[in-house]
Amino acid sequence: MGLEYVRITTGFEDYMPKDYVDLVKYGQFGKEYDIQDLGTFKELVEEHPMCAGCFMAYFIRVFYASLPNPEDSIVIGTAGCARLQLSQAAVPFIYGNYGDTNAVASGLKRALEIRFPDKNKDVIVVAGDGGLMDIGFGMTMHSWFRRERFTTIMVDNEVYGNTGGQESGMSPKGVQLKMAPKGKKFDKINAVELAKAAGCVYVARIAPTNPKRLAKTIKRAILAARHFGPTFIHAYTSCNIEYSIPTEKVLEDARNREKNDFAFYEWMSDEVKGFFEQVETKKKEAQEVK
Amino acid sequence: MYYVAEAKADKCSTYKCNQCVLFCPEPNTLMFLQAKNFAYVNQARCKGCAICVYVCGDLLKRNCIEMVMTTVSE
Ligand SMILES: Cc1ncc(C[n+]2csc(CCOP(=O)(O)OP(=O)(O)O)c2C)c(N)n1
Ligand code: SF4
Ligand code: SF4
Ligand code: SF4
Repeated sequence: MGLEYVRITTGFEDYMPKDYVDLVKYGQFGKEYDIQDLGTFKELVEEHPMCAGCFMAYFIRVFYASLPNPEDSIVIGTAGCARLQLSQAAVPFIYGNYGDTNAVASGLKRALEIRFPDKNKDVIVVAGDGGLMDIGFGMTMHSWFRRERFTTIMVDNEVYGNTGGQESGMSPKGVQLKMAPKGKKFDKINAVELAKAAGCVYVARIAPTNPKRLAKTIKRAILAARHFGPTFIHAYTSCNIEYSIPTEKVLEDARNREKNDFAFYEWMSDEVKGFFEQVETKKKEAQEVK
Repeated sequence: MYYVAEAKADKCSTYKCNQCVLFCPEPNTLMFLQAKNFAYVNQARCKGCAICVYVCGDLLKRNCIEMVMTTVSE
């Protein structure tokens, strides 16, 4: 596999759809773009039906632009809003049944290690708060207990967005939602601490207010999973529909939440810390040689 | 008729900035022409959320991008 599947067969260049030709010529395969270069290359994701101004859609856009190795990545999603975009990218996508994502990812990662022993295949789950912390809770936790080497990204919009506004374990205390009018009676689950206790080697909590930091966090979570064990990102990705946020205020809302309960938080094991220090020293040395 | 974003190339190019491009939720939509230093909108893909207007106007006080009415072109 690798880069082969994004080459156009000789003689077919003139007949392929323009978006595909652009992807091969100006896309991310085989190159590494900085997130600051967004808007100057052809992105992996195509048009998708997520709502206007959806910050989960924004997060997923940055996620694809940050993949360290898109040609060797497989994304797993499930029922929920995220899959509406995850399924429109030039990266293999597997739809796990609702709640099953982390069990599917465990099997897939193990199979890939057997089938491609000399390659790094990145497996990344991207799913909602309902999918990972409510209905998929058991499978999420057990994949961490077993130290499965893949990344889990929870796109937390604090509601069941795709089914019209039921409360989730990640909805904040007191919040009233369209299909939960009595108000949430208990606190938001502390997902990041659970991930740490369950054996993740890298965890982060982030609001998408700073593209550079977001890209770095996503890359780190994927690289740490490649070599050491399960990794987890808890991302605030607001649902402007269910929380009635005017679309032009979606970034302002994320900035406010970051100041209050979504401050950037990053934790990693000593082993992972040592690994990133080494990688960063090597990068600096390479730049100095240039 | 619906709203889409439109960047004012002349004014935008004076700032040598691409900040709004980094915050658009849609892929391959709000683009940046490096050679001329300005942002431009692929209007067929724009969903009209105005997050770019918030970034350029409210945050950066540059006001180089605005929402305009458009119609579906055949
Ligand atoms: C086993 C199963 N139960 C229920 C559903 C119905 N269902 C589809 S999406 C969804 C909620 C999604 O909420 P969340 O995971 O938080 O993602 P969001 O849509 O908010 O991004 C539910 C309950 C389903 N598809 N499969
Ligand atoms: S319902 Fe909410 S989370 Fe789902 S696409 Fe729309 S804004 Fe995004
Ligand atoms: S933020 Fe404003 S000045 Fe900067 S690229 Fe966008 S439109 Fe131009
Ligand atoms: S209005 Fe929204 S979708 Fe359109 S260019 Fe601006 S940020 Fe992108």
